[in-house]
Amino acid sequence: MPSKDKNHSLISFADQELVLESLERDQLAGLKKPLIPRRRLKGLEKFVLWSLRIYLIFMMAVVVYQVWIGTH
Amino acid sequence: MGVGPLSRVTPQAITQEDVVITHEDVDRAHDRLRVSAARAQRGVFSRFRLLWLLVGPGILVMLGENDGPSMLSYAATGARFGIGFFIPFVVLTFCMAVVVQEMTMRLGSATHRGHAELIFDRFGPFWGWFSMIDLGVGNFLTLITEFIAIRAGLGFFGVPPWAAVVSALAFLCLAVITHRYWTWERTLLAIAVFNLVFVPVALLAHPDWHSVGRALLTWKPLPGLSKDTLIIVLADIGATVTPWMLFFQQSATVDKGLTKKDIHLGRIDTVVGAALAATAAVATILATAPLFARHMTAENFQAAEFAQALRPLIGRFGAALFALGIVEAGMVASVTISISSAYAFGEVARRPHSLNLPMAEGRVFYSVLFLCAVTAGAIVLIPGLPLIYVVLLVNVVAVLAMPPALVFLFMLANDREVMGDLVSPTWANILTTGVVVFLALAGILFGISVIAPSIFAFLGGK
Repeated sequence: MPSKDKNHSLISFADQELVLESLERDQLAGLKKPLIPRRRLKGLEKFVLWSLRIYLIFMMAVVVYQVWIGTH
Repeated sequence: MGVGPLSRVTPQAITQEDVVITHEDVDRAHDRLRVSAARAQRGVFSRFRLLWLLVGPGILVMLGENDGPSMLSYAATGARFGIGFFIPFVVLTFCMAVVVQEMTMRLGSATHRGHAELIFDRFGPFWGWFSMIDLGVGNFLTLITEFIAIRAGLGFFGVPPWAAVVSALAFLCLAVITHRYWTWERTLLAIAVFNLVFVPVALLAHPDWHSVGRALLTWKPLPGLSKDTLIIVLADIGATVTPWMLFFQQSATVDKGLTKKDIHLGRIDTVVGAALAATAAVATILATAPLFARHMTAENFQAAEFAQALRPLIGRFGAALFALGIVEAGMVASVTISISSAYAFGEVARRPHSLNLPMAEGRVFYSVLFLCAVTAGAIVLIPGLPLIYVVLLVNVVAVLAMPPALVFLFMLANDREVMGDLVSPTWANILTTGVVVFLALAGILFGISVIAPSIFAFLGGK
């Protein structure tokens, strides 16, 4: 029996069969909702990530400064 | 028991009671059926057919990154430095791009999740939204530059700015109107290959092939160390390795439906894309190298000005091809970059995100896509805005934002809980570490040159 997706447009039984045969389980759009468990960051990983963010903010300030002196 | 990719998903058979099947799934299943049929057959023709079916994200991301400002960066490189160090350097940057993009393709094929989604899930909402904002700002600035390039390129043919922007938006609409990933991909591939129009332009410039060969082998003549050189170096790196590429190729790989079985051909797709893009990039440098030989100041040229300057050297036809190439580069990139933003937003906001979505199911996805493009196009039409600074700085910003993005990629590609046995091999990790360090050093040097030019001069700069 044809099923309906969220927007109530019909999907034929043949297409449902095709989907179930052709796609891997976690390729289905409806199965993407469950979250992958959160990774527990170790000390070094936290240090690297925060260092990079500080680097990025610093460099963005440099770019803004460059634009400012360029436009003045 | 070994840890498999996304081991939270049990390997049980799917039943119709388990899930709601959507049109997105049906379209993807039809694409996968063709792949399975080609894979089941033997023979050289079937191998090529399989490759033909699976190529796309890699070629599109590489040719998409040969965008308007990138081609102008390569043109400025040729005009400023001629044939020399930058020819092999640009080839090297594409080798770096292959190392990085291969990881995104592998991540997408193994997890069936986009890059933004994985960062959000594995590192939490703070890092997820931070990356999303990084990407969104960078993409928006880049989109503005694409419209500048389109406007400038079409300006060569006398097209008014408003008509150029409307044409680009119409092209974007046409590219996604079928609501079918496969049709979109094939259409865009056909247009993206037009990036190679810079090859005949280079041939019309009659480059000295002996100098080209010597430059490729010896990296000489070397440019002097100066702030201008550094900006060109950063611009050329930014023209090849940028954050949106990571998000785009992984999301496109997922949308196309690639699986672990497809990784080998996904690598070929990425390498072919890099080879095509490197060819177009080197051709652009060669095309404008005659300007260097005639000592013409061209570093701040836009597309139309390059085309005008090249006209006495390569003829009207060659100049027109150059301008058309810039238009094509801007148009293809405006599509891929808008889609990259829409994919990432959908992944982080947990809204449907696929080019297979009908308009009714993908309102948010298509709204983000069009909103980004329309706003960027409108900004370009505001008179008096200092657009040249956006063009000059956008690639530099991309380089500065790249190291953090690469670190997330590196951690995800080595995350055994996510990738299972497909974690990066040691040689790939060594290469990636080298790329991250190289990009970070380039960014730091740029920072020093701006805030402490005296230190930079002490280091040997001018």
